[in-house]
Amino acid sequence: MAVHTTLPYRFFLSIALLSITAVSEPTDLTTELVSLRSSSESGVIRLNDVSKFITSVATPRPYSLIIFFNSIDLNSNPLQNFRREFGFVSASFIANNNNRSDVTNKLFFCEIDSSDSESFHRFGIQSLPQICLVDPSMENLRHHERGMMEEADVDGTAESVAEFVESRTKLTVGPIHRPPLLSKTQIGVIASLIAISAPFLIKKFLKGETFLHDSRFWQYGAVLVYFFSVSGTMHNIINSIPMYLRDPEDSNRLVFFYEEPEIQLGAEALSVGLLYTGVGLLLAYVTDALVRVRNVNEQRVAMVLVMVVSFLAVKRVVYLNNWKTGYQIQMYWPSSWQ
Amino acid sequence: MATQESPPPGTSSAMRNAFGTVLSALILLLIGVLAFSIRLFSVIKYESVIHEFDPYFNYRVTQFLSKNGIYEFWNWFDDRTWYPLGRVIGGTVYPGLTLTAGTIWWALNAINIPLSVETVCVFTAPVFSAFASWATYLLTKEVKGSGAGLAAAALLAMVPSYISRSVAGSYDNEAVAIFALIFTFYLYIKTLNTGSLFYATLNALTYFYMVCSWGGYTFIINLIPMHVLLCIVTGRYSPRLYIAYAPLVVLGTLLAALVPVVGFNAVLTSEHFASFLVFIIIHVVALVYYIKGILSPKMFKVAVTLVVSIGLVVCLIVVAVLVALVASSPTGGWSGRSLSLLDPTYASKYIPIIASVSEHQPPTWPSYFMDINVLAFLVPAGIIACFSPLSDASSFVVLYIVMSVYFSGVMVRLMLVLAPAACIMSGIALSQAFDVFTASIKYQLGRSSNSKDDAEDNTSTNNAPKDDSSSGKTDKGEEVAKERSSKKGKKKEREPADKPSVKSKIAKKRALVLPLEASIVALLLLIMLGAFYVIHCVWAAAEAYSAPSIVLTSQSRDGLHVFDDFRESYAWLSHNTDVDDKVASWWDYGYQTTAMANRTVIVDNNTWNNTHIATVGTAMSSPEKAAWEIFNSLDVKYVLVVFGGLIGYPSDDINKFLWMVRIGGGVFPHIKEADYLRDGQYRIDSEATPTMLNCLMYKLSYYRFVETDGKAYDRVRRTEIGKKNFKLTHFEEVFTSHHWMVRIYKLKPQKNRIRGRAKKLKLKTSSGLDSKPAKKNPWI
Repeated sequence: MAVHTTLPYRFFLSIALLSITAVSEPTDLTTELVSLRSSSESGVIRLNDVSKFITSVATPRPYSLIIFFNSIDLNSNPLQNFRREFGFVSASFIANNNNRSDVTNKLFFCEIDSSDSESFHRFGIQSLPQICLVDPSMENLRHHERGMMEEADVDGTAESVAEFVESRTKLTVGPIHRPPLLSKTQIGVIASLIAISAPFLIKKFLKGETFLHDSRFWQYGAVLVYFFSVSGTMHNIINSIPMYLRDPEDSNRLVFFYEEPEIQLGAEALSVGLLYTGVGLLLAYVTDALVRVRNVNEQRVAMVLVMVVSFLAVKRVVYLNNWKTGYQIQMYWPSSWQ
Repeated sequence: MATQESPPPGTSSAMRNAFGTVLSALILLLIGVLAFSIRLFSVIKYESVIHEFDPYFNYRVTQFLSKNGIYEFWNWFDDRTWYPLGRVIGGTVYPGLTLTAGTIWWALNAINIPLSVETVCVFTAPVFSAFASWATYLLTKEVKGSGAGLAAAALLAMVPSYISRSVAGSYDNEAVAIFALIFTFYLYIKTLNTGSLFYATLNALTYFYMVCSWGGYTFIINLIPMHVLLCIVTGRYSPRLYIAYAPLVVLGTLLAALVPVVGFNAVLTSEHFASFLVFIIIHVVALVYYIKGILSPKMFKVAVTLVVSIGLVVCLIVVAVLVALVASSPTGGWSGRSLSLLDPTYASKYIPIIASVSEHQPPTWPSYFMDINVLAFLVPAGIIACFSPLSDASSFVVLYIVMSVYFSGVMVRLMLVLAPAACIMSGIALSQAFDVFTASIKYQLGRSSNSKDDAEDNTSTNNAPKDDSSSGKTDKGEEVAKERSSKKGKKKEREPADKPSVKSKIAKKRALVLPLEASIVALLLLIMLGAFYVIHCVWAAAEAYSAPSIVLTSQSRDGLHVFDDFRESYAWLSHNTDVDDKVASWWDYGYQTTAMANRTVIVDNNTWNNTHIATVGTAMSSPEKAAWEIFNSLDVKYVLVVFGGLIGYPSDDINKFLWMVRIGGGVFPHIKEADYLRDGQYRIDSEATPTMLNCLMYKLSYYRFVETDGKAYDRVRRTEIGKKNFKLTHFEEVFTSHHWMVRIYKLKPQKNRIRGRAKKLKLKTSSGLDSKPAKKNPWI
């Protein structure tokens, strides 16, 4: 990048550009844009040369450009999703107006990457995502505000872009065509795979050899579902609650337990779920597995361990519950004992 | 287990069995008494009243039923509610609860026990809780024997989650529905174990009762097909399964369609499609098994290819039809609530009205501790126990717990469905643990008394000699069990479900032992756990779940305060207003007003018409004059507001007011929530917006409030109110209850517009004048 900013280079570049623009007619430019567009899959032109198509062309230009400001280096998922949506608008625009070159040649979908810092500077782009419509009469890119898509409308969907385009250019984009989740060939492959494997699967199934016939699979599954449910994982998923918080007063301290019955943190939920499930599993271990052990001392040690752990786990849950909800269960002792 | 095998009479084991049966019956009776009496705290601490909101409606319907008979009830069009629309009660309620209580009342009266309808209604829920615990005993007994059954029944009798919905006075659908749910499951398992068509028919009938009682019947009609599918998938298909399932679907669906509120939904909505799909699948599978039976193995291989491919094609066609049907409906044919169960994030995204209800929220872990308490610890052990050995019955309860625990994780309300499953599982776990520990103690004690002489030799680390002999026995026992089960594999048709035989179990008990002292300690710990559960349940029943919410109490230094304002004001309404007067209030108080004051209301707790509710919300949020016009156009004579500012009762109308604004604004856009908020904050002090300070709800709540303490300090919002001295122009205060909790206002008659002419006009024409402003739509 540093190379571009050197003065001689810039000088040379502008000379070269001038010489090009001097010779190219507006109609040639349109043809060039069309060819650039046809070389791109979704019809979005990678605009490397802003001055050629915008600043050096006398207004009114025969076309409008809608520019998506992208930054691949930023590596941001929402931005790239939006870019994809932008591509869908472009492709839909071309597809919906397929036979009418008078319409399709009026508007070109372009993209400028942040590596082209000069163009970013020209448009005065400070934040992303940003979409700008350069209409035929726009001269000074610095006063591009009227062409900018309003921040409230930039919601990352193809529909919002299409609406923006239709409201500004009086061209119709039409319905947005999104590619199906699986392409036709993929569906075909999957279907044929299923069709081929079906007889084998059915045969295996009839013989009773699948993992579905293994009761352990169901056993682990049942305990797992139980574990996730009693720990209130659904609550955390639905409200998208983090695993832990940072203490607002001391940023180095992490908060794992939240003192409010309606809210729980992820780590808290999982640990209590583990306590809930663990005690039951230990009991099952004693009654199902430990009884088969021959060595009495081994049994004794294991049982003592199990009992201590279970007792502490139950005590811990009771303590946590009382701490979290503020309830204190009345023990109903005779009044003379208190 | 004691009653399963009947040895010849006269032997000692027959005596033991008889004794066991009598003891079981006695324990069950006590469990019933426990289930009934633990729910009486609300009657003892308060009085024998109907609780909360919905039960008042059910009570009123029951009153109507007992007075006018079943046919009148079926055709009842209620003009006392949703004025001027009215509501067809017979076609829009689940009649199970009402019919049950009505029948009980009728039967008691027929044998000359003159109980009032209210008393019957109050005690219906506790009585059915006793039935539910007996049904739990039966169900668990089918799965794991009577020991587990008794434990599960005892746990269910006092599980807090169920208590919360079934204390005396809580006269709601769930009170009878949980019994119906468990009993339906019991009969299903019974049919599955016996293959008897008699039980299958009974099963369909109890399913019908469940459909009559509660919308939660969809849980049954999805869980049972899932179990059937599971059995098929894991290779456990048997004709018993077919008998348990096919009659249930056919008879059950036909019967369900008889209930007016369900009607054709029983075949049209997606909630029921799973059962039909499985119905087809089970027929295909049954065909395959039949062909397998009549053909030689070689021929069968050929036939399988043919039948399976035909079956697959049929299934595909049916699936395609179903998908097309489902896809043609916008929500895929599922109701919003069901969808939010399948996709937990659905409600929070698309249906704020469902998401906003607190009982539709997903619970956090303390909810489980509150509602099922120590059962949460025991359930995993129960699940493991159900897998050794896995039978049709035990796989059903495992599926039941998995499904219900998942659903309860999505919606806290469904904790109620989880509770019976948790009790069954914990009962199984407890019973197994007690079995093992007591058997160990008994065995070790017996052993030590037998072998006192060579005790010194046996204190070594190994108890091999005894174990060897006993392990031989065990192996033998296991072999016997294996043989039995393999036999069953061949002749599943005729044999009942595989249960571990008594013999093998006794052999196991002898062999599989734990050290004596550890067993005793473990037993004590388990008893402690149980005691903690009992204490928690009693506490929950006594403190947490027994408040009727129609009578409030508060404990302060100078003793108990009772706030009986609601009944005071409903009584005032019924004594001081005309029978045909219309009373407007927010929908929460609709059921109570119709039931206790017997006055016509505009909206009530059955929130079926959003526009009508929005109209009342708009009136409450409008300035006095506009509100008067709306109410006048609805023939409203009195407006009732609930105000907690004086005594600090937090669920009053001012706290619910933003919902009125939102719901009103949803239909009438000139009501904007932002107008009532100052910088996004809801406040009623001097910083409040003028729209807020001039709306009807503010004025009716705080009218003359300054006269109470001179400062007009609101104890709920903990602030002085913004506008203290104002007069009402279109409403006049007619009643304010003792603690100012309920305030009733009357709409002032319309003023004469032209004095000179009005004098000349007669009453008739002046009423004609009244209707003049109605030309302009007052709501907009």
